[in-house]
Amino acid sequence: MIPSLPFLCLITDESLSPVDLAGKALEGGAAMIQLRHKYANGEQLYQWAVAIQALCRKHKAIFIVNDRVDIALAAGADGVHLGQQDLPAAAARKLLGDGRIMGISVSSPLEAFAAEKNGADYIGFGHIFPTGSKAKTNDPVGPESIENVRAAIKIPIIAIGGISAKNALLPINAGASGIAVISAVSRADDPKKAARELVELLQTNNEHRR
Amino acid sequence: MSIDASTVLPRLCIISSGNDPDGSGLLIRRQIELLRPSLPSLMQIREKHLDASTLFRLSLTLKAAAASKNVQIILNERADIAAAAALDGVHLRESSAPPDRLRSFTGRMLIGKSAHSAESALNAAHSGVDYLIFGPVFDTPSKRQYGNPQGLVKLGEVCRSVSIPVLAIGGITPENTPHCLSAGAYGIAALSLFSDTTRFPGLLTTFEKLLYS
Repeated sequence: MIPSLPFLCLITDESLSPVDLAGKALEGGAAMIQLRHKYANGEQLYQWAVAIQALCRKHKAIFIVNDRVDIALAAGADGVHLGQQDLPAAAARKLLGDGRIMGISVSSPLEAFAAEKNGADYIGFGHIFPTGSKAKTNDPVGPESIENVRAAIKIPIIAIGGISAKNALLPINAGASGIAVISAVSRADDPKKAARELVELLQTNNEHRR
Repeated sequence: MSIDASTVLPRLCIISSGNDPDGSGLLIRRQIELLRPSLPSLMQIREKHLDASTLFRLSLTLKAAAASKNVQIILNERADIAAAAALDGVHLRESSAPPDRLRSFTGRMLIGKSAHSAESALNAAHSGVDYLIFGPVFDTPSKRQYGNPQGLVKLGEVCRSVSIPVLAIGGITPENTPHCLSAGAYGIAALSLFSDTTRFPGLLTTFEKLLYS
C-alpha cells in the first residue's frame, strides 16, 4: 500500500484550506496526504477528511489523518499518523484493525524500533533539517542519521522536517522511502508546480539508481 | 441507539473541572470516591487541554477508580480514546463528526451530544445519539461562550420535540432543578457546582432526593 518508489507526502498547513491544498499536491503527483489540523472541531475535520479521501481515491493516493483515529475511521480514511503524545500504537491498532495504515512519528532509532514492534506500518522520522513549520526545541537529526534508523527497522521511513527541492535527495539516498513536506508545497507560489518538481526530482533520482 | 438509554442513563451528570493540571485526575478521582451506590451518576471527563496520550492514561485510571461505583465514565469528544480505554461512553460537542459514523467502532458505548439551540438539539436527536445535554439553560460564567441562556421555555420545547433523554446544563442549582424537571428534562449536568469537594457529599444527598424520589 505504501509506494515502493520514492514518494512525496504532503502534510496540510494549519493556516490554509486543507482540501484545496491537498488537491493541488495530488495534481502535482503527491502519493500521500496527511490531514493535520490541531485546532479544528470534529465536524470540520470530518468534512475535510471525507473530501480529501475522495480526492486521494481519484488520484490513487493514500490518505492519512493525524492524531484523530475517530475521524479517520468515521471518514473511512486509509490510516492514521500518530505522534508520541497521541493514542499509544497498540491501542490505536486495536481500533484500526489490520486493514488500515498506522504511521508513527519518531526521532531516534530506539523510538523507531518500538514503533515497528507496536505495529506501525511506517515511521515519520525527523526533523531532518531545521524547520520553521513547527516549534522545535531539539536539534535536527540530519539526513545521515536515517542510515541508523534504516538498520534498526524494516518498515518504510518517511523523512520530515525542513525538506525542499534543494535537499530532498539526501534523505532518500540515506534510506528513506519518501519525504513529507508542509511549507515546501503549501507556501510555494504555485503549490501544484512545487509538488510536481519534488516528485520529478525523486523519480529522476530513482532512474539514476537503476 | 446502542442501548435503551432511558432505562439505564443516570439523571445526574458531573462534568470535570477542565483544570486538571497534568492529567493525574486528582479532583475527578476524589469526586468518584465520594459518589454513593444509591445515586447513579455520569462522570464526564472534559479536559480539552490534555493530549491524547494523557487522556488515554487518565481514562484508564478513572475507569479503574469507577470499577466498584455506580458511575459511568464518559469522555468528552474523543470517541477513539473512549473506545480504546473501554469507557462507558463518549460525549460529543455540538460540532462533531456524525455520531452514526462513530458507531462502527464504539460498539455498545453511550453516545451523547451537546446542543446549544433548539435547532441543534433536533439535528442531534435525528443523528442517532443516545442522550442530549442542552443549555445553557441559566446564566453561568463557564457556559457564556455558548451564547445567551436558552431558558426554561426553550428547554421544555426541546424536551417535547425529541424522544431521547435531555439533561439540562448551565447555571443548574438544587433550587432550579425542579423547574428543569417540570419542563421535561430527564436530569441535570453541572461542572462548577461540583468542583468544591467539601460541598460535594451534601449536594449528592440533595440531588438524590430531587432526581430519584
